[in-house]
Amino acid sequence: MSAGPSSSGFLESSRRGVADADLRRKLENATGRHLEHVAATRAEFPAFDSERDAARRIKEDAIGRLDELLVELKNKLEANGATVFVAADAGEARDYIVNVVKRAGAKQVVKGKSMTTEEIELNPALERAGVEVVETDLGEYIVQLRGERPSHIITPAIHLSKEDIGRLFADKLGIPYTAEPETLTDAARKRLREIFLSAGVGVTGVNFAIAETGTLALIENEGNGRLSSTLPDTFIAVMGIEKVIPKLSDLPHFLEILARTGTGQKLTTYVNFISGPRGRHDADGPRAMHVVILDNGRSAMLADPVLREALYCLRCGACLNVCPVYRRIGGHAYNSTYPGPIGSIVSPNLFGSAAAELPFASTLCGACRDICPVRIDIPRILLHLRWRESVAQPAIKWPKAAVKARASVVRFARMARFPRTLRLLTRLAAPVLRPFARDGYMRRMPGVAGNWTRWGRDFPALRARRKTRQKPAEHS
Amino acid sequence: MSAFHKLIARVRTALERPVESAPPHHEAGGMAPPHAEAARRAELASAFAREFAAVRGEFLGIHAPEEIPAKVVELARSLNALAVAVGAGVTLDFEPIGRALEAARMAVVRTNAKKRDDAPPLRERIAQADLGVVEADAAIASTGTLAVVGTPASPASLTLTPPANLIIFHADRVHADLAAAIAALGPEPFVKNRVAMITGPSRTADIEKMIVLGVHGPRRLFAIAAWPR
Amino acid sequence: MTEVRLFATCLAEEFFPSVIEAAKTVLERLKLKVRPVRASFCCAQAPFNEGLREPALDLARKFLRACEPGAPIVIPSGSCTSMVRIFYSDLLANEPKLAERAAALRPWIYEFSQFLVDVMKVKYVGARFDRTVAYHPACHLTRELRVIDQPRALLAAVEGIRVVDFRNPEECCGFGGVFSVKLPHISAAMAEDKIQRIQESGASTIVANDCGCLMQLGGALHRRGIPIETWHLAEVLAAR
Ligand code: SF4
Repeated sequence: MSAGPSSSGFLESSRRGVADADLRRKLENATGRHLEHVAATRAEFPAFDSERDAARRIKEDAIGRLDELLVELKNKLEANGATVFVAADAGEARDYIVNVVKRAGAKQVVKGKSMTTEEIELNPALERAGVEVVETDLGEYIVQLRGERPSHIITPAIHLSKEDIGRLFADKLGIPYTAEPETLTDAARKRLREIFLSAGVGVTGVNFAIAETGTLALIENEGNGRLSSTLPDTFIAVMGIEKVIPKLSDLPHFLEILARTGTGQKLTTYVNFISGPRGRHDADGPRAMHVVILDNGRSAMLADPVLREALYCLRCGACLNVCPVYRRIGGHAYNSTYPGPIGSIVSPNLFGSAAAELPFASTLCGACRDICPVRIDIPRILLHLRWRESVAQPAIKWPKAAVKARASVVRFARMARFPRTLRLLTRLAAPVLRPFARDGYMRRMPGVAGNWTRWGRDFPALRARRKTRQKPAEHS
Repeated sequence: MSAFHKLIARVRTALERPVESAPPHHEAGGMAPPHAEAARRAELASAFAREFAAVRGEFLGIHAPEEIPAKVVELARSLNALAVAVGAGVTLDFEPIGRALEAARMAVVRTNAKKRDDAPPLRERIAQADLGVVEADAAIASTGTLAVVGTPASPASLTLTPPANLIIFHADRVHADLAAAIAALGPEPFVKNRVAMITGPSRTADIEKMIVLGVHGPRRLFAIAAWPR
Repeated sequence: MTEVRLFATCLAEEFFPSVIEAAKTVLERLKLKVRPVRASFCCAQAPFNEGLREPALDLARKFLRACEPGAPIVIPSGSCTSMVRIFYSDLLANEPKLAERAAALRPWIYEFSQFLVDVMKVKYVGARFDRTVAYHPACHLTRELRVIDQPRALLAAVEGIRVVDFRNPEECCGFGGVFSVKLPHISAAMAEDKIQRIQESGASTIVANDCGCLMQLGGALHRRGIPIETWHLAEVLAAR
């Protein structure tokens, strides 16, 4: 097919994903294992659905009065001794953070896992300022060593096998080649521990920000988030505006569902609560704490009544694992910080036309909505975005195939308004086309349907009676 | 573990026995009778132990406070520890633990000791220790979680930088679930201190979704329940 | 004799005429008078899913005019049934008159297996099918309509049938309407993996209640020369 390149390059990158049999096998294994764990932990927790509903209601309430809560959060954080900066966009957030790092005189920054800092492309900005940035989440560390971006929001290196990682570590860390996950993890631990003890600034994301107490909750399994927020003298937390929840007593409802869907655990190893810098007598903890609250397109999503729901997202990653599209193409194909179903919603809103194709990268099968711990109606929002694109007609360079397909749907819809004429046409056409069919299937089709037959599928002939219909008995 | 279960079984059977004399009168809606309270506590501790083991924590049993120093020494010996960092207790006095370890010829990093001028900062000495010992403020039965409040006398590093970690908790402080534990702790420690909820040893599944323990935090996590006689 | 209306759906009408005949046969066996919905051709899902609201609105209007409340309208597709029962409310949000009509019609709209089991209260319809079958639960049927047990119950009651399980049965076959030609490589990869899992099960026949899935899986099987056949549930139930 001679489709020209599109704005986002999704067509090309998703083709690479599909063609990579090795990648597909790795994705199938890893996501399959995740889904099994999720099913098992859910099955033994009867309150799962009622906790989901409770969590969803809290999000509805919180997002519904985000203004109030953000004010409360900021006041409380400041009362606790933290410095709060509200960034309207990625650039403001980056500038602020680079400044803080410079003022702290730090040459090295350690980072806990944070998709928000990926979103604002913090690492390149810090590097341009002459600061070394070290990702400390094992998966993030691996993709950083490879010079890639994470391919999953929870499991950044899901696209790599243990052998891939073994080769990478042999090459970059100079250890003897091994594919033993324990040995590889240990090598990373040793390397990163030294850096933790010397780095001047730690940066992490935030899972929940509790307005009532001015407390940030960081959820993780490895302990790198705890280290990043405990050892360096300066700690910077970066959060989207949607992370705020009203009360401390709201948090358990989220904790009960987040790990169960995100990783298939009852609870992650660490839930860290940080409200401010260290006290006068504390032996550890940062001396200065900064909280960057980021908008970057979120308030626009808030303003759209259908899209608003996407702000309830906990970034648990489950919708990626269950998505039949993600599982075939992998996260890199989305060319965005946020891949998968939720990424297809968030990306066009945060990154504009560069991700305009993503809402179409779904069969609307609904598996994402069913697994989502806060029941975000992802298919409905995708439909809404598809409609929005078609209305707004933005200056997007759509792939040729997409434009043609769309035009043919318009043509079909126009004809389908006249059922009698359409039926007459197909009745006349069917016998003409019949000689080209074999057992009621066409091997090659012209026009848009050619995309069907070019990609491994025969096309059913018009009004054909496939011969098998007459003999239901097993051939045996 | 099995010794622990036997104990629980004993406690339960003991509590099921009919009470000889008439129970002291209590008003309707008043407090549960003390034996029911004890049974509940035993049940929660047992559920905690089960969940803690499920997340690969190592439960060292229920002990009277005065037995605990010896237990800590035993653990430190089995880990070949040279230095042990000991925080301050919450409900328990940790001083005997430090003394017992010293008596067993191990170096003790005390968080409440006055720092000598030439000594490296406390957090570095904690990071050098082979084992960190703290008391949790709360335990959570449904998830096998320990909630530890970091204070000047019990810094967060204790449960973070040493390769092994022992968390002692008082059997009175085991809560059924997260919501109950957070309610019992109240907002104050969250505002004033750093709270960590810890569920098992540090872990990752970043390589092919296979679980590896001890990525950045402790590789081994032990727990002892303290139950005063 | 009670009357039901049968809405053929565009895919069945143009590519799987035997599905409509089979559905009619089964309904008639239950002593129902079957009258087709002739004045509408498509439920509007194709343009709606592409984000083409105006063309979708035209087709929905057409469908709503062609049907009236009072007699059950049976649709042999989970997807088209979802469109009318569920998505019309979004599509018609700014069309109060049509929305009202759709709301009145909604309780009369049934997917084929749903109608048999929930309304007619039948499971056994006199079918015989001596084959090993893998049932593919179509996405909208399962996750929009929550019609999960009905098709399985109907299949279980068929004489001579053996229904086998396969890995991850609920994963989408990859059809997705226009998706199948807009992102054909992803669509085909989904079908490929699904077929592989079904092959492992030893089934000789795939059964689904949606012509989109049949077209997708049947087309991919035929291209590969794999001798697994694709049957609509109605066709299985009509077989004897
Ligand atoms: S949309 Fe739902 S399932 Fe997807 S990452 Fe967000 S919370 Fe998880």
